[in-house]
Amino acid sequence: MLLVLSEDHKEHLSFLPKVDSAVVGEFGRIALEFLRRGTSPKIYEGAARKLSVPVETVQHGVEGLMFLMTESSKHMISEVDFLDSVLVLGFGEELNQILLQLYLQHHAQIRSILSQLPSNLPAYHNLEWRLDVQLASRPLRQQVVPTMTMRLLLADGADGGRSSRVLQTDPSSLLHLISTLEAALAAMKTSHARRIFRNIK
Amino acid sequence: MELSESVQRGLRSLAEPSTFDQSSYGVLVDVSFRSLLSAKAEPGVLDQPELKQIDQILLKQSHTAATTFILEAVKHNADKSAISSCLEELAFSAERIEIFYSTHQKHKKELERLLASIGRCPPRINDASWRLQYHVKNDQVDKVNEPFYLISLNTENEGSEEDINFTCTVEQLQDLVGKLKDAAKSVEKASQM
Repeated sequence: MLLVLSEDHKEHLSFLPKVDSAVVGEFGRIALEFLRRGTSPKIYEGAARKLSVPVETVQHGVEGLMFLMTESSKHMISEVDFLDSVLVLGFGEELNQILLQLYLQHHAQIRSILSQLPSNLPAYHNLEWRLDVQLASRPLRQQVVPTMTMRLLLADGADGGRSSRVLQTDPSSLLHLISTLEAALAAMKTSHARRIFRNIK
Repeated sequence: MELSESVQRGLRSLAEPSTFDQSSYGVLVDVSFRSLLSAKAEPGVLDQPELKQIDQILLKQSHTAATTFILEAVKHNADKSAISSCLEELAFSAERIEIFYSTHQKHKKELERLLASIGRCPPRINDASWRLQYHVKNDQVDKVNEPFYLISLNTENEGSEEDINFTCTVEQLQDLVGKLKDAAKSVEKASQM
């Protein structure tokens, strides 16, 4: 598929052919750092001073480059499609190749960063467990109650914040839990599931 | 078993045939066990015809002493000799001890269950429900094409239920099930010791 770039986007990127390839490479690096860690105005100011252009131009150039990379990675577009999409900008062959290299080198990384964004449900991280026997409590002494105490660690949201829940269960509930979740795993192996996985690509 | 002054006093009056005759003794013992086991406090629990002649304050003191004694006996899993010697010291006749003990035996299991349920503990997992879904795409990434599970653990804590929801990949679910099976194996091993 081809990327359709808006007029604003094309304008932001029009800055790129005016600088030499080393600078484009540098902008690419800044764009990726932006994705990974965010950006600071100092970086833009430094570059703007060196190139004697307004800060805004540098910022738009970097952001335009970043958007080009993320959109391409999002749709996993092929080499050919990438070059065709970029052709529309009217850059020279060398610049197109630089952009392509940037895309090919980093698209896997960009995709993994992007895939961490839309998590609104906590995701399983780990389960720690412990077998205890309750011997006594304040209201009742001399008990023998086997108890499975567990700590469920969940990774919550894109910032990777961990939440942990302490839970308990008894041996029979534990067995029920195991059989229920094993049935869940078995659902993956049904012919129905396999057919869907095969056909939606 | 250690009993406070007031409990001992209340029990001594209960042992007294001049205060509690045979029938009213039996009724009070029954009433005491019942008031512990009933779900709601009944204000009219002592309004039995056999108990009408007894001085009402003494009656309440004996009732309180009896219920306290019952709870202590269950709490410490006191056997027949412990209960008997305790009541003997408080001047209970052998017959009265027997009546108390047989009623105690009748209700012991239920009282134990009641006492065991009091107290704080982490939420208990009762059940789990799951969904297998195929993630096609989202607004940030296209062509994801990955199966994933939505698991919901139904937990209960002191009567209130809560669902813990989370997602996991196939590998993560396998990891979870593996760990649960390890836990189950350890329970089995422990039960054979």
